[in-house]
Amino acid sequence: MASTYVKSITGLLAAGALLMGATGATAADRVKIEWWYAISGKLGDTVQKLISDFNKSQDKYEVVGTFKGNYEETMAAMVAAYRVNQQPAILQSAERGFMTMLNSGAVIPVDQLMAKQGYKIDWSDFVKPVAGFYIVNGKPAALPFNSSTPILWYNADAFNAAGFDAPSDTWQGLEKQLYALKEKKVTDCPMALPGDFQWSLIENYSAINNYPFATKANGYGGLDTEFVYNKTGVVGQVARLKKWVDDGVLKIAGQGVAPISLFTSGTCATIINSTASHSGVEADAKFKWSAAVMPHEEGVDVKNGTIGGASLWAVKGKSEEVQAGVAAFFNFVAQPATQEWWSKATGYVPVTNAAYQKMKTDGYFKDHPTREIAIEQLSRGEPTDNSRGFRFGNHNQSTAILIEEIQAVWTGKKTPQEALDSSVKRGNEILRQYEKLHAGK
Amino acid sequence: MPASDAIMIRNEGAATRPRLPLRRSLSSLVGTSEAGLKASHFRRPWLAAGLLAPQLLILLFFFFIPTWKALSLAFVQVDPFGGTMIFVGLENFTTLFSSPEYRDSAILTLWFTVVQCIATLVIAGLLAFATDNVMRGRAIYKGVILLPYAIAPAISGVLWAFLFNPTVGPLAQMLHEIGFAWDPNRRPFDALLLVSVAAVWKHVCYDYIFLVAAFLAVPASVMEAAAIDGARPVRRFFTVTLPMAAPTIFFLIVMNFVYGLFETFGIIDTVTHGGPAGSTNTLVYKVYQDGFRQLDLGSSAAQSVILMAIAVLFTFLQFRAVERKVNYQV
Repeated sequence: MASTYVKSITGLLAAGALLMGATGATAADRVKIEWWYAISGKLGDTVQKLISDFNKSQDKYEVVGTFKGNYEETMAAMVAAYRVNQQPAILQSAERGFMTMLNSGAVIPVDQLMAKQGYKIDWSDFVKPVAGFYIVNGKPAALPFNSSTPILWYNADAFNAAGFDAPSDTWQGLEKQLYALKEKKVTDCPMALPGDFQWSLIENYSAINNYPFATKANGYGGLDTEFVYNKTGVVGQVARLKKWVDDGVLKIAGQGVAPISLFTSGTCATIINSTASHSGVEADAKFKWSAAVMPHEEGVDVKNGTIGGASLWAVKGKSEEVQAGVAAFFNFVAQPATQEWWSKATGYVPVTNAAYQKMKTDGYFKDHPTREIAIEQLSRGEPTDNSRGFRFGNHNQSTAILIEEIQAVWTGKKTPQEALDSSVKRGNEILRQYEKLHAGK
Repeated sequence: MPASDAIMIRNEGAATRPRLPLRRSLSSLVGTSEAGLKASHFRRPWLAAGLLAPQLLILLFFFFIPTWKALSLAFVQVDPFGGTMIFVGLENFTTLFSSPEYRDSAILTLWFTVVQCIATLVIAGLLAFATDNVMRGRAIYKGVILLPYAIAPAISGVLWAFLFNPTVGPLAQMLHEIGFAWDPNRRPFDALLLVSVAAVWKHVCYDYIFLVAAFLAVPASVMEAAAIDGARPVRRFFTVTLPMAAPTIFFLIVMNFVYGLFETFGIIDTVTHGGPAGSTNTLVYKVYQDGFRQLDLGSSAAQSVILMAIAVLFTFLQFRAVERKVNYQV
């Protein structure tokens, strides 16, 4: 009995070894570069196309891309893998995880990597709001990859039916329009609440209206930054959103349905969502749709919005030839031609001026005017400490707290002021914890 | 307990041949090969060790090593990548105990676990009682009840979330039409109700299988005697079947607690994400959120240590308080 087991087990092992040997042999001529990414759906298909284009463009390296779940899940997978030395060579990480990656000690600064491998990348060519975020002390920490910003998507048919040409550029004006859409029974859902509303309706709102979100230039000035958004116009914004939710003007999609699909299906007339929704909206929306810049408060000096999306990090602990492959891939991604193709295919903003200018001179934005809105919104006004961006340690944690507290406003458990006070207090504890752990970095 | 129990049954078993519950018939099977010896006796110790090894290895890798990891992380604050680590003593614990969110989560978990446990048992009990009395199509009836158990928690969670989604869900629309302001995104009670129903729905089948077996194991002679004495089915159920099924019910109470405390994670993740405003954020879901989403490994480890202590305490209390009242003898 036992011996047959032993036999079958050794048989299995031998078969496994054969299989591994076989795959090892075919891959031997190319160096494998593992890349973990976090975007799915149509965007994920485009990532796979990018990878296969790179693999076809040369014969030394083979990039293997694996979807590891959303940004948080991908980061968690990375952390777990890094601790047992099974990390990928490239990681796509969201802007919210920037500080975590920067201070992780697990990454190679991208300019070092490129210089060492003999590639020249013109870092000054990256568009300002993108460069402003990823460049630390004059040096880029990661390669900007998919950069986006939230824009206001609207159903033009619905707006016309209610007698409007386009959405107002102020929140006050937009409010009247949304209520009119409901009162005139054009739609039962004038606006859908995006899943990442804290990014668009709170953080970007704060930047565009030039309110301070935290001290020390929103964290750019040091780890001893403190949240202050409970003392700014953000309180009024949350109160406005609460009123809209109560009046049925703003609908929360909830679990089981993606907020953007409420817009593309025609259920809701507007949504403030990432410009990267372009590929999805273009494919799915069966009505006349358009987009506009995010509204601002009446009478403020309007500033630029902030970027979202992610960048590519070169991860430590890989052999020299793998690093050379990572650099080759980064160089491929940073080419104006790749940038242009990527931006057109996805809706993300072109991250280099070269790519942007080329798209402009080719007349691409004349045919696709909504594709330029994000860039326009990112470059409104002269950036201030309030609008440059956000650099907070453990930003995921303070974001989760902010969302939880604002949900307490939806449920009526807290007033906007109470919720934001509590959110700031809890968020500051997170910042102090991070400061303590990373003192001197 | 099982060994002496088995022997006792063997002694009297041959004459009356009662239909035995699964566990007991198993232990009696093991016992028959070596008459007169303890059921757990093996002549060759290596065989015993070999048979034990898989279970011990599973315990080692899925219990002892994780427990050690949790304990070692619970007293530190650490960078997710392990670069920096500061020993903070009991700070992770004191922060938790002074946090109103953590207290809310603990109260919620208790409520959820108790309600889920009772509701699951009662519904499964009713269905199992009915099974005894269903004559036609019994197989179909059983099959339909057992179906939910075959569906992965994440998939059933997505289905529940979609069906009761206030904007697009068909069942939510029906609730709206009959006048309920159903909205689990904004009404914490609705959200809690939804995850409770989803959790119960998923677990009823488990309790049902055990209860059907336990009810079938009640000796026909006892039931017939009760019938001759004039007890109707409902009365027979409460005075004969239930007391005789007490060991199974006790076992199910423990299992339901474990399920409610630890295994409803997938359902909560898909149905509510712990929201709105943490109103369905149970302790185990919070461990996941804080540890794997927020990468606050120190706090997450401290929470799992607390959770482990709670689980041990509950099981101990249940064995002390409830098991004494359970009579294992037929």
